[in-house]
Amino acid sequence: MRWTGYAWAAGATAACTAAGVAMHGRFDLVNIAMVYLLAVVIVALRYSRGPAVVTSVLSIAAFDYLFVPPQGTFTVEDVQYLLTFGIMLAVGLIISGLTDSVRARARAQAKLEAAAETERLRSTLLASISHDLRTPLAVMCGASSSLAERGERLSAEERQALARSVYEQAREMSEQVAKLLQMTRLESGAIELQRDWDSLAEIAGAVLERLGDRLAGHRLILELPEDLPLVRVDAALIDQALANLLENAARHTPSGTLVRLRAKREAAELVVSIEDYGPGLPEGDAERIFAKFEHGAAEGAGGGVGLGLAICRAIVRLHGGRVWAEQLPGGGSAFRFTLPLEEPPSVPAEPALA
Amino acid sequence: MTTILVVEDEPEIRRFLRSTLGAEGYRVVEAPNARRGSVDAGTHKPDLAIVDLALPDYDGRELIRDIRKWSSMPIVVLSARHQERTKIEALDAGADDYITKPFGVGELLARVRAALRHAARSPAGQALVLGSAKVDLEKRRAWRDGAEVHLTPIEFRLLAFLAKHLGMVVTHRQLLAEVWGPPYVEQTHYLRIYMKQLRDKLEADALRPRHFLTESGVGYRLVADEEP
Repeated sequence: MRWTGYAWAAGATAACTAAGVAMHGRFDLVNIAMVYLLAVVIVALRYSRGPAVVTSVLSIAAFDYLFVPPQGTFTVEDVQYLLTFGIMLAVGLIISGLTDSVRARARAQAKLEAAAETERLRSTLLASISHDLRTPLAVMCGASSSLAERGERLSAEERQALARSVYEQAREMSEQVAKLLQMTRLESGAIELQRDWDSLAEIAGAVLERLGDRLAGHRLILELPEDLPLVRVDAALIDQALANLLENAARHTPSGTLVRLRAKREAAELVVSIEDYGPGLPEGDAERIFAKFEHGAAEGAGGGVGLGLAICRAIVRLHGGRVWAEQLPGGGSAFRFTLPLEEPPSVPAEPALA
Repeated sequence: MTTILVVEDEPEIRRFLRSTLGAEGYRVVEAPNARRGSVDAGTHKPDLAIVDLALPDYDGRELIRDIRKWSSMPIVVLSARHQERTKIEALDAGADDYITKPFGVGELLARVRAALRHAARSPAGQALVLGSAKVDLEKRRAWRDGAEVHLTPIEFRLLAFLAKHLGMVVTHRQLLAEVWGPPYVEQTHYLRIYMKQLRDKLEADALRPRHFLTESGVGYRLVADEEP
């Protein structure tokens, strides 16, 4: 970039010189000077001050040597050409100065915007941490100190209830911390996919087994066709993405409602959908809910730090897939993601038994 | 008395393991590092070892390989979340199962009991009961809802190897090496096909298996009805 400006300076001057030679004799010298001036303006607009000045100087030298009488020398007979030279140099300086300052302002603006974005993320992160992590910490602190220092004055049931709330809060908090760490890892590019041929139905089975009681309040419908093709994925990550979407559905819809997990082949992709019959998507941009630290409107305390969908998106994108949310016509929402399909290797048939 | 060796460098985690396992009637031997753990494994001859993978002196996986040179005692590793690679390496080094930190006492005791049962079980054993399915490993026959189910030789080898590690995790690599042979350890798609066939034949609901469990990215675990 640095040297292209100077290459342009030399090239533009050479081109003007060629044009000037062609024009010479038929046009006034002033018009030839104008052609050089055009080169100075173009270079000054595209590049910074250095190339603009070089173009000016080269143009002046070429114009003087080749066209200003006496030709073939740098001597100037008519003093008015010195003014022409001065103007060429001044135009180069002024325009390149203008261009430079416009560019500097744009850079400063972009930097300011990036800083504002970082700042916004930092403050939402801090707000999330202070709310979603400090509340359980306060509960744990209070309940455990009560057990440790006043335990003998409490009834067995009260002790049991306090201990249980410490356990539950700690569990929830460790979930959130794990999500924060995972998001950081995904964003920093520290995760290398461990791809293997895997079955989406199998991964889904493992997720449902693990989530167990967290989905117990909902009626779950699985629509995973028998002939679903294998996918080449990092199963541990797709497991997380699916788990986050299912937990999300369970958290945002009333218990007793349906949650449907379906997958089907569409052209060269596998489309996986989690559909619910809850209140639907929040007003506004459906894309926004995939941003970090974005909470659903109805979400109160305990909703987590809002990383579930962002992690899901990062995982799906790492696999070369897309993820999006849709409002379902009868109310409710659908979260869908795709995984690119490849031709799975064949499995040798087992010899038939006698 | 059943002795459990705990190799873990965090004193607070050792304390919690000591009191929990102690309350269940196990004798607990504690080692704060791998070197000490290796010595204690030899002198105390524990019935089971719980090994943290991140130890200060050398890697927990190396300790597992050390112990495996002379003992088949069940080994359960403690691992961090989202570290499937480390889990797989520990299992391939000879560990029988893993618990992901942080864990509750229920999960811990379930794993410990399953591992101790696994060690005490006679290799051929009695019939496996998997819900409404039953398998006689010696006679190589299987039934579901009273009717005999035909298993192919590969399905049966897969089932037999999982049953040999009943309740424990078996990695993809271990299964592929055992059932298809060492050249096939990368062919995970074989496993997907045959596990599906086994589930279709023996699980009540193949999409929500209760016995042939998937450990995403790691391997499989067969759970029979004797498990609590």
